[in-house]
Amino acid sequence: MSTIQDAFHRLVAGNQSYKAKTFSEAPNFLPQLATGQSPEVLWIGCADSRVPETTICQCKPGDIFVHRNIANILSADDISAGSVIQYGVGAVKVQRIVVCGHTSCGGANAALGDADLGETLNTWLHPMRELRRKHQKELDALESTAAKANRLAEINVRNSLEVLQTLPVVGNAMRERGLTLHGVIYDIGEGELKVLEETSKSGNNSLWSQGR
Amino acid sequence: MTEQEKERVNEHLKATHDRIFESNRAWASKCLDKDPEFFAKLNSGQQPDYLYIGCSDSRIPANEIMGLEAGEVFMHRNIANLVNSIDLNIMSVINYAVRHLRVKHIVVCGHYNCGGVKAAMTPADLGLLNPWLRNIRDVYRLHEQELDGITDDAKRYDRLAELNVLEQARNVVKTAAVQKSYKDDGYPIVHAWIFDFKDGLLKDLKLDFEGTLKSIQKIYNLTGGD
Repeated sequence: MSTIQDAFHRLVAGNQSYKAKTFSEAPNFLPQLATGQSPEVLWIGCADSRVPETTICQCKPGDIFVHRNIANILSADDISAGSVIQYGVGAVKVQRIVVCGHTSCGGANAALGDADLGETLNTWLHPMRELRRKHQKELDALESTAAKANRLAEINVRNSLEVLQTLPVVGNAMRERGLTLHGVIYDIGEGELKVLEETSKSGNNSLWSQGR
Repeated sequence: MTEQEKERVNEHLKATHDRIFESNRAWASKCLDKDPEFFAKLNSGQQPDYLYIGCSDSRIPANEIMGLEAGEVFMHRNIANLVNSIDLNIMSVINYAVRHLRVKHIVVCGHYNCGGVKAAMTPADLGLLNPWLRNIRDVYRLHEQELDGITDDAKRYDRLAELNVLEQARNVVKTAAVQKSYKDDGYPIVHAWIFDFKDGLLKDLKLDFEGTLKSIQKIYNLTGGD
């Protein structure tokens, strides 16, 4: 089992080098972080290893509050994501929520059909499979499986923005302090984030330049 | 808010929003300089060795603190890195990571100075967070004597954060996916870590994986069937 040990030691070595680099570049950075967080963004994204939010946005520790699950599915009755939103919006007071889907998503791909993935994953993917059924005609018109999966990923992000707006903690923060919601798709092959949709209390808030 | 204040907030929001997209483009071009095939390779699929379960706290971006690139670690982050058997969200993550991606290591990582741990010990009605944070109160109850003996508040919270990680790692070991995969293939191994802002280091809480597995299987053995 030497590969298992190697994989583990890599993490420990990586962390040592992170510490050395961070302290040499900014000796006070970490001690200051220890005093508290005030991230501006809550990121709801996929657990997929290829979409590490802080890396792909070149952000720093302290910038992004994070929830990542299988296929960035957001259901109003999910207590895990619900707790993150409650805490992130209500207590940490982020200024925006970014829901990020991505291309080549295994979850989206699996949700295109009804293959039995075991009770756990079947139940988890159920809302996304329902979305697929709701948009079946549109998806059928697309040629490749990749295009269908990418489109379903987009539909899923838009649905998540709708779910978010139904939550009182989110609605109140939008009205009272200008919290905004943003849907993006990360293109894994291009390494690029693309804006799908933005919402504020006045609809499209024209803050953000489209089609960049 | 006055119109002027709104304008200032808007400018600030636009600047911070643009920053993310600018940074993203800079990062993508840097990756391509290093390896022109980087994104093409990622596009063909993921084979991460690790599943990381950590706290949503913005100060602990897992890839950065472990020095890992995109594609190397499957990631779940929730409030106070809790692993609850009836939380479909995390059970789906573990199931997919172990059975489909066949990860070799599962790391449960907490951190000192955790807001979730503090909130859990607050005598207040926190709504939806009550049932979520209840798990941490239960960890306290398991170790009541030891924790009651620590008089310094900060130190008691930090010890509770450590005990919480160990308990959540034990919850990972209790899953059928982990027990069966370990029996058949000899992996994954489950680890309990805690991150310390003060020195930027991950501390291994040295969960004895095999010992834990053996001890939980007296009651939680799920390896039969199929």
